[in-house]
Amino acid sequence: MSIIKKLALVIVSLSLVAVSSVSSAKPFSPKKPVELIIPAGQGGGADEIARLVQGVIEKNDYASKPVIPINKAGGSGGEAMTYVKKKAGDEHTLIITLNNVLTTPVNQPELGIDFFNDFTPLARLITDTFLVWIATEGKNTAGVETFDDFIDLARGNGLVMGGTGSMSEDELLLGMMRGQFGFDAKYVPYSGGGAVAKGLVGGESDFTLNNPSEQMGFYQSGDSKALVMMTPERNPAFPEVPSSYELGYPDLEYYMMRAFMAPAGIDAEVEKYYTGLLHTVYHDNEFQTFNIDDGKLMSWLEGFGLKDFLAIEYAKHGEIIKNFN
Amino acid sequence: MDVFILLLEGIFVSFQPLNLGLLIFGCLIGLFVGAMPGLGSVNGVAILIPITFIIPPTAAIIFLAAVYYGAMYGGAISSVMLGIPGASTAVATVFDGRPLAVKGEAMTALTAAAVGSFVGGTVSVILFTLFAPPLAEVALRFNAPETFALMVMAFATFVGLGGDDVPKTIFSILIGLALSTIGLDLITGKPRLIFFNIPGFLHGINFLVLAIGIYGIGEMLWTLEETKGKVQMSKLSVNMKEVGRAFGALKKTIMAMNIGSFLGFFVGILPAAGATPASLMSYGITKQLSKNSKEFGSGVPAGVVAPECANNSASTGSMLPMLTLGIPGSPTTAILLGGMILWGLTPGPLLFTQEPEFVWGLIGSLYIANFFTLVLNIALIPAFLMVLRIPFAILAPVIFVLCVTGGYAPTQSLHDVWLMLLFGFAGYILRKLDYPVAPAVLSIVLGPLAEKALRQSLILSDGSMGIFFDMSEKPIAAIIMYIAIVLLIMPAFGPLYRKFFKKAQTT
Repeated sequence: MSIIKKLALVIVSLSLVAVSSVSSAKPFSPKKPVELIIPAGQGGGADEIARLVQGVIEKNDYASKPVIPINKAGGSGGEAMTYVKKKAGDEHTLIITLNNVLTTPVNQPELGIDFFNDFTPLARLITDTFLVWIATEGKNTAGVETFDDFIDLARGNGLVMGGTGSMSEDELLLGMMRGQFGFDAKYVPYSGGGAVAKGLVGGESDFTLNNPSEQMGFYQSGDSKALVMMTPERNPAFPEVPSSYELGYPDLEYYMMRAFMAPAGIDAEVEKYYTGLLHTVYHDNEFQTFNIDDGKLMSWLEGFGLKDFLAIEYAKHGEIIKNFN
Repeated sequence: MDVFILLLEGIFVSFQPLNLGLLIFGCLIGLFVGAMPGLGSVNGVAILIPITFIIPPTAAIIFLAAVYYGAMYGGAISSVMLGIPGASTAVATVFDGRPLAVKGEAMTALTAAAVGSFVGGTVSVILFTLFAPPLAEVALRFNAPETFALMVMAFATFVGLGGDDVPKTIFSILIGLALSTIGLDLITGKPRLIFFNIPGFLHGINFLVLAIGIYGIGEMLWTLEETKGKVQMSKLSVNMKEVGRAFGALKKTIMAMNIGSFLGFFVGILPAAGATPASLMSYGITKQLSKNSKEFGSGVPAGVVAPECANNSASTGSMLPMLTLGIPGSPTTAILLGGMILWGLTPGPLLFTQEPEFVWGLIGSLYIANFFTLVLNIALIPAFLMVLRIPFAILAPVIFVLCVTGGYAPTQSLHDVWLMLLFGFAGYILRKLDYPVAPAVLSIVLGPLAEKALRQSLILSDGSMGIFFDMSEKPIAAIIMYIAIVLLIMPAFGPLYRKFFKKAQTT
C-alpha cells in the first residue's frame, strides 16, 4: 500500500497548496488553515484558551478553515513573537497573548521586537487572575491557614516558588510582593502552569502564583489550597478564597490578559474579519460557561479601548521590570 | 476485585458498535500517520481533534487513543523498509530494523516490531489497570533531580552504543549535545548560538530534522553506492517457513521485551518525557545489558523489539499523568489533554471517580486496540515487503521526496529542509569515516530535557551537585545516579571482566 499511496498524498497536497495560493476577491475569509501561535507550553492557561477557541470555532463552523494551535514556548514568548513579527502581512496567523508579550520585548531587546508596531491587536476576551497557592500537605508550609500566616513564614524562611519561566508574570508578581511584603523566595522555572502545579503538589516547591485553571484539578481534589486572590472581589469559582482588597492589600492586584493579535501590516478587512470571529466566539454559550466555571473574568475589549489598555499595561510592566532588576 | 469489574465494564464499553468502529478506524489512520515521515502521532491527533466534538467524549478518547497507538506501530514500517524514521518515536527502530531489511530479513524485522509493540502495549496497559493511583504518586515525586539522574543514566548507556570506539562515540554524543543547545536558553530565554543571525535557529534544531537527514538522506546515498541502483532484494518469498523463522527469532528478544515494556512504561508516566526518549533509552540499555551487544546496529531482532516495545509502552504510560494529574506525559497527550478539557472533563485526581465510564472505557479500549493492531500489522507484512522489490533507482527519488516533506512538515520552515540535507551529507561522510551517528541523535533528544532538569536542580540546591547524591532527602535520584555511574564504567571493565572470567573457566 505504502509507496503509491504516499506518492499520491504528496501529489494531492502539492496541488492543494497550488490551488490555495490563488487569491480571491473580498470580503476576506481565510483561504487556508489559520495558525494560532501560543507563546507558552502545552497544558498551561494560554494553551487551554487557545484550544478552547479552536474547539468552539470547529464545533460551530464559525470559520471556513480550521484554526491550528501551535505552541512556541521558547524564551518566555520570544520565539513566538519573533515568529509572528516575521509573518508581517500574513493573513493566516494569530497569536494569543500572555503578559509575556508586554515583558519580553523589554527584557530581550536583542530580539528587536517593537510591541506597538509589530502586531495588530484584535480583541481581549478574558482577564485571568492570580492566586497564592500552597500544597495542603506542604512540609514547609504546615500550619499556614491565612495569607498573613504565609507572609510571616515567608519573611523568616527562604521558601521555594515554582513558576512558568524567567521574567514571566509570576516572577514579576514575586518581585511585586517582595517590595510590598518584604520577603523573597527562590524561583524555579518549569515548562507551563501544569508542571508548576505538579511541582507544588509533588513537594518540590512551597508555593506558586498560578492561574485558577492551572491549579483547578488539584484544588478540586483538595491537594492544594489558595490563600488569596489578587482581585478586588471574590470569585464565584473559589467562594472561600478571600480577595486581596478584603485582606487590606489593595496594591496586590494583578491580571493576565487573554487577548488575540495578528501580525502587523494586514488589511483592515482582515482585521475586521478576525475581530468579528473572536466576537462570535466570545458570545458563544459554551465559551462563556466554561470560562466562568473556571474562575476567569469575561472582559471583551477591542479597537481604541484595547490599544489604550495595552499602552497602560505596557508602561506598568516596564515599571515593574525596572524595580525588579 | 473492583478493578476487574471496572475493567470488564470498560471493555464492554469499547465493544459498543460506535466505539469499536472508531477504534478500528483510528488504528488504521494511526498506522498510516505513523508510517508517513514527518507525520507522527502528534500531528495525527491534532488534526483529528475537531472531529471529536460531534461524538461523545468516551468515543472520542477511544478514537484518538487508537490513532496514538496505531502510529506507534506504523512508525516502524518506514523505518525498516525505507530507512527513514516514520515518526520521532521510531528513530531507534532504524538502528537495527534497517540493517535487518538490508540483510534480507525484513520479515523478521517487521514481525519483531509488531510483536514487540503488542507486548509493550499490553504489559503497560496491565500495569496501568492495576497500579494507576500509586503510580501517579510516583510520577508526582519524580521531580527535577530525579529526571536529571535518569538522563545521566540514559547518556551512560549511550557510551556503549557506538561499538568499541569509545572516543568516536563520545565525539558523536558531544556533537549532538552541542546541536541541542542551539536556540533560546531554557531558563533565561536568551538566544544562544544563532549562527549568522539566521532566525531559523531560534526554534532550535528539531531532532527529526537530524534523524531524517542522517538516516533518510545518508542511508539513501549509502545504499545507492552499494546497490548501484539495482533491486536490493530479489528472492523475497513469504511462506510459512519464513513466518516460522521470523517468530523463532523472537525467542532471543525476551530480555528486550522486558526492558522495553517496563522502562517504557516508567519513562512514559514521567511528565514531559514520552515515547521518543523511552524508545531510545530502551535501545541503549538493552544493548548495554545484552550478551551480544557488539552485534547491535548490524541487524538483531532485539534491537527492533527494544524500542518498539518501549514506544508503545510509553504511550500508554503517558496517559497516566494526563488522566490522574492533568499534566501531559508526552506531546501527543498534551493535545489529548486539551481535548478532554474541551469535552467538559476536568483531568486530575478526581477523574477516576467522577468519570469511570470515560476512564475505564479508554483503558478497556487499549487492550482491544493492541490486539487489533497486531493482527492488522502481521497481515499486512507481505504488502509492505513489496517495497523491497522495487529497483533502488526508482525508490531513491521517492525516499528523497519523503525526506524533504518529512523535514518540512513539523515546523513548516524551509530552513529545516536545508538543514536536513546538510545533515544528510554529513551523516554520509561520518558513516564513511566509521563514526557512529546514533549517539548524536540520542543526545539531541535528551540534551534539552537533561539541561532543564540539571538547571532546575541546581537552582533548588544553590548550585550544589550534592542534590543528586543525597540518599536521605532524594533517595530515588541518588539510586538512579549510582546505577548510572556503574553503567558508565561498565564498558571499561567489561573486557577485563570477561578476560578473567574466561581464564577462571579454563583453569
